[in-house]
Amino acid sequence: MVFEPLLGDLPQLLRMPFFQMALIGGCLVSIICSIMGLFLVLRQESMIGDSVAHTAFGGIALGLLLGIDPILTAMVISVLALLAISYMRSKGIAQSDSAMAIMLAGGFSLGLIIISIAGGFTVAIMDYLFGSILTITWSDMLLIGILAVVVILVVILLYKELVAITFDERASRMNGIPVSAISIVFNILMGITIVLSIKVVGIILVVALLVLPALTALQFQLSFRNTIIYSIMFGLISMITGIIVSGMMDVAAAGVIVFTGILIFLAVTGYRRYVVPS
Amino acid sequence: MNMTNQQSFDDNDVVLEVDGLDVYRSNSKVVENASFSIHRGDYVGIIGPNGGGKTTLLLSILGEIPVDKGHIKMFGEPSHKFSQWDKVAYIPQNAMDFDHFFPLSVKELVSLGRVRRSNLFRSLNSKDWEKIDEAIEFMGLSELSERRIGQLSGGQKQRAFVAKALVRDPELLFLDEPISGMDFESQEKFYKMLSNLNTQRNITIMVVSHDLTAVFCRMSRVICVNHNVHDSLIEPDTDPNNILKKVYGEHFHFVFHDHKCKGEFNGV
Repeated sequence: MVFEPLLGDLPQLLRMPFFQMALIGGCLVSIICSIMGLFLVLRQESMIGDSVAHTAFGGIALGLLLGIDPILTAMVISVLALLAISYMRSKGIAQSDSAMAIMLAGGFSLGLIIISIAGGFTVAIMDYLFGSILTITWSDMLLIGILAVVVILVVILLYKELVAITFDERASRMNGIPVSAISIVFNILMGITIVLSIKVVGIILVVALLVLPALTALQFQLSFRNTIIYSIMFGLISMITGIIVSGMMDVAAAGVIVFTGILIFLAVTGYRRYVVPS
Repeated sequence: MNMTNQQSFDDNDVVLEVDGLDVYRSNSKVVENASFSIHRGDYVGIIGPNGGGKTTLLLSILGEIPVDKGHIKMFGEPSHKFSQWDKVAYIPQNAMDFDHFFPLSVKELVSLGRVRRSNLFRSLNSKDWEKIDEAIEFMGLSELSERRIGQLSGGQKQRAFVAKALVRDPELLFLDEPISGMDFESQEKFYKMLSNLNTQRNITIMVVSHDLTAVFCRMSRVICVNHNVHDSLIEPDTDPNNILKKVYGEHFHFVFHDHKCKGEFNGV
């Protein structure tokens, strides 16, 4: 009986502009995360998502301090961090994981300093740490829409090159594919994706949006194309479930979105391992 | 289907020329004063003891390792300005060591061979897919084309990688120990298939191999690498031991199963 009035709220919720924007924005972010996350998981660089989201914290603080849209400053900082990680790895300065650690520490500590200087903008900062999908504005929505479409289009344009490089970077280089240039483009797309996800689930859970759908899809042992389709599907299921449950029951959206993803992952893995092992 | 290359080639057409080549790796000289020429249509076995420099020689030809002394020319172009990479395909020693959970079907793997600089930003066209299907069929993988590459057997994986190389329409194909870890029957099939590529498609092949029988029965030229490099033609009356002693030492004796050349190996 407790749930009856809440369930009755759904059609009404769906008519509310804030909820519609949350759903559309959330789904767009989920799609680009599910695609970019698959490349990230296959490159064995999942934690780049976590590292760069924390680095972006410095950019967010900087934006709040200067009165610029924090999403934009965060994006610049994130892309720079991704390029720096690639640079440190390629020049032998640091391995991937230690390069990520340095970037995380650098960005986050910068953020803490800025916040103390500014005397703290607590509410805004909390939104970025834990996500605020249900409070996105029209202008956020527009930015998310444009950037998500850009990411999707670029991935379509460079699809075969990205697959080739992810599978075998050296062979791709020998085949004359401009690997370095495409890697820079990939880093820019990744930076955009990470920062848009911060808006939805917050800095701390960004890595889940990137990794969970891809990892769940990989359990099915499909072709690359079908793995992407499955990944998008699992990402969307978690996102929509999370936003609806959160809207109806007033639970943190980021928590429900990510936890749904975890449950789907466990169910799929259990099913593939123990019910119909291939 | 356009299986054979219809162009006629001058037999003396040199596709690869190595002259006085020295290559160092971590400060020790691995290849010393190598000089040889490979002609169009050659089927070349590269043999020699482990650590003797076979892979180093290949990688320096491919421009992956810097050359310390000497010259390499491919298709008449010096290696440092070589631009015709579309004519060359290479299957490395560790090609099979990919992540077996990588989500790629056989067809998708082979299609990656058609990804090159000139079709950047475009998806593969119908001609590309024709080539891909043809290579898959040629390698006998049609029924497995939708299977994930991680689920293939060793021999099937190897054929899939050769198909990936073939869709590039190479004129010169390099393979580095392509059959390590495969059973005898698969190895035989594999070398037979390479013979087919060599004769039917007129692809010049250079293959690093430990299978001396396959080299002396099937191939037209052998390059022995043990820091020094010896290049010999293989004629019907060639005694392999005369060649092998140069790299493996005077006491080396290879029991050559001559009957195999005429028997099982000849069914090309």
